[in-house]
Amino acid sequence: MIFAQIFDTINTGLVVLDRQMVVHYWNRWMALHSHIQSSAIVGHNLFDFFPDLNRPHFLRNCKSVLTFGNFCFFSQKLHHYLFPMAPVGSLADHFDHMQQSCAMGPLRNASDEIEMLYLSVQDVTEVVSYQRKLMQLNQTDQLTGVYNRNYMEAHLAKEIERCKRFNHDLSLLMIDVDLFKSINDTYGHPCGDYALKAITQRINSQIRKTDALIRYGGDEFCCILTETSCQAAYKVAEQLRQTIAAPPFTFQGSQFNATISVGVASLDQQDCDLESLLKKADDALYRAKQAGRNTVT
Amino acid sequence: MNALADTLFAGEEKDILQEVMNIAFGQASADLAEVIDIFVILSVPDIQVVRDCDLPDYFRQEISCSGSVHIIEQSFLGKFSGQALLIFPSGAEKDLLKLFNSNNELGQIDIDIDTLEQETLMEVGNILIGACIGKIAELLQDIVTYDPPRLLAQDFSLQQASCAPVAKGSFAISIRTVFRFEQQNVEGYLFLITNQHSITWLKKALHAFLEAYE
Amino acid sequence: MLQTILIVDDSPVARMIMKKCLPAGHNLTIFEAGNGQQGVEQYERHRPDLTFMDLTMPVMDGFEALRRIKQINPQAVVIVATADIQEKVLQRVATFGALYTLKKPPTKEALAQALERGAAALQQVSS
Repeated sequence: MIFAQIFDTINTGLVVLDRQMVVHYWNRWMALHSHIQSSAIVGHNLFDFFPDLNRPHFLRNCKSVLTFGNFCFFSQKLHHYLFPMAPVGSLADHFDHMQQSCAMGPLRNASDEIEMLYLSVQDVTEVVSYQRKLMQLNQTDQLTGVYNRNYMEAHLAKEIERCKRFNHDLSLLMIDVDLFKSINDTYGHPCGDYALKAITQRINSQIRKTDALIRYGGDEFCCILTETSCQAAYKVAEQLRQTIAAPPFTFQGSQFNATISVGVASLDQQDCDLESLLKKADDALYRAKQAGRNTVT
Repeated sequence: MNALADTLFAGEEKDILQEVMNIAFGQASADLAEVIDIFVILSVPDIQVVRDCDLPDYFRQEISCSGSVHIIEQSFLGKFSGQALLIFPSGAEKDLLKLFNSNNELGQIDIDIDTLEQETLMEVGNILIGACIGKIAELLQDIVTYDPPRLLAQDFSLQQASCAPVAKGSFAISIRTVFRFEQQNVEGYLFLITNQHSITWLKKALHAFLEAYE
Repeated sequence: MLQTILIVDDSPVARMIMKKCLPAGHNLTIFEAGNGQQGVEQYERHRPDLTFMDLTMPVMDGFEALRRIKQINPQAVVIVATADIQEKVLQRVATFGALYTLKKPPTKEALAQALERGAAALQQVSS
């Protein structure tokens, strides 16, 4: 009596399957979220209702539980969900499906032989939502809204590997705001902040969705241009330089000018890892500064 | 078995323990191949008794993977209880991914390759550990439950992992096998570390195992 | 009629279990060996009617010992005993000339059957 009540009121999906994948029990939570009543599915093969589960991956885990009596875990990270269900409440805005963490375990008969297995389904959409938010905060520059150095460190090395694997081009722009200190000194820090925001906005309007703009340091930025050759990158850099140089910026009624210096570097035979690519771009930036600023090299 | 084993086990008990482990690992290999289509060779288990303070050194000695390793840790709880440590050389996850995701069924969802590789490692580890412990439990008439496996990726964690399951001043029984996925050329280690508390029950279970043949 | 058997296994417990599974009141003479090499030597010395062979043994494993015994006597009746009864192993064992494979740990019934099959094979050889 008590267990039956727990089975149907617990805030977790519970399904019992036999060795042929026929459903023996389907609790209330599963019915509510799948819109499939227990009476409709009990006695039928699970795959008649959820054909996507009929895959080697799922079956392998079922076999393991039925043979060895261990537990198998379907993490949200790898699967996102096992049963397609709508997310609950306000989370529906950010996710197409309820995110689920599932586990499977053995059920034994009176002779202790493994006869069936149970599947538990947990709604972890809220947790995943927090994880993503945290990740975003961790990798976003608070002032300008562009990516920050954490993002670069996590992604650039992988991106380089990917490009090497598939023989794609990759270019890097090192961008420095010329004489940024004097903007702060002349017009004040709030203006300096505004300048950074406005500059990044102008740059973002010129680059593609597949490119990434990263705030590397105080007034230093880095732009990753995927599938872009050195020549093409140079053109992009020159365009960015012009976009920043004119027209002037306006902050609280006053006008001011800003320019950027850009160093361009690309992946090639010699410079094919993170450190050497960054160094090449840095060196190019240095030469741009030496050449009188507001320059691309 | 090492000399320290004599402090815990009387003569015949050592032999029964070795035979039970041989059978368990042999049956696990067979079931993994026949039922789950996972072709892995498990070497004859090596059983040693180790003092808790010596565990870190023991691991360092036993593991001859040059370079860094991935460690999967999973607790198992029954009358036979302890911790399983599965050790793969770094890079193995790429090879195992080819084995377990050969028709790229998981490629349909948008996951980055690192997560895919890591999670595959965990799933393989979970099944391997479950197979070995499941068979041991079956032979000794015990029922075991499991915590979800955890991935400890750096090898300095060897220190941390070995501290966990064993109470201070006690002994641990380590059962070690080398596993090998031939097709993927992946080799690694599986350690089952069970603590002294299980020993009283274990001895009874070993005798019961043999008595069934009287 | 089986009169002598040889049990080759590095585990004293496994040999003990096998002996305990033999039918009560049997009149068999039992020889034992603790590794493949000793197993071959014992076979040569005693020429048992039936041999039980474990696979994973030190010094010389069961496959090699089986091969050598078959060289000494191609009609030797050998039953492999192993816990790892996967298809690949069964095939390999058959190629080397074993009669069949007995699953470990054995039961009394399985061993009775093994003796019957061994006796039948022996009969075929001598006829």
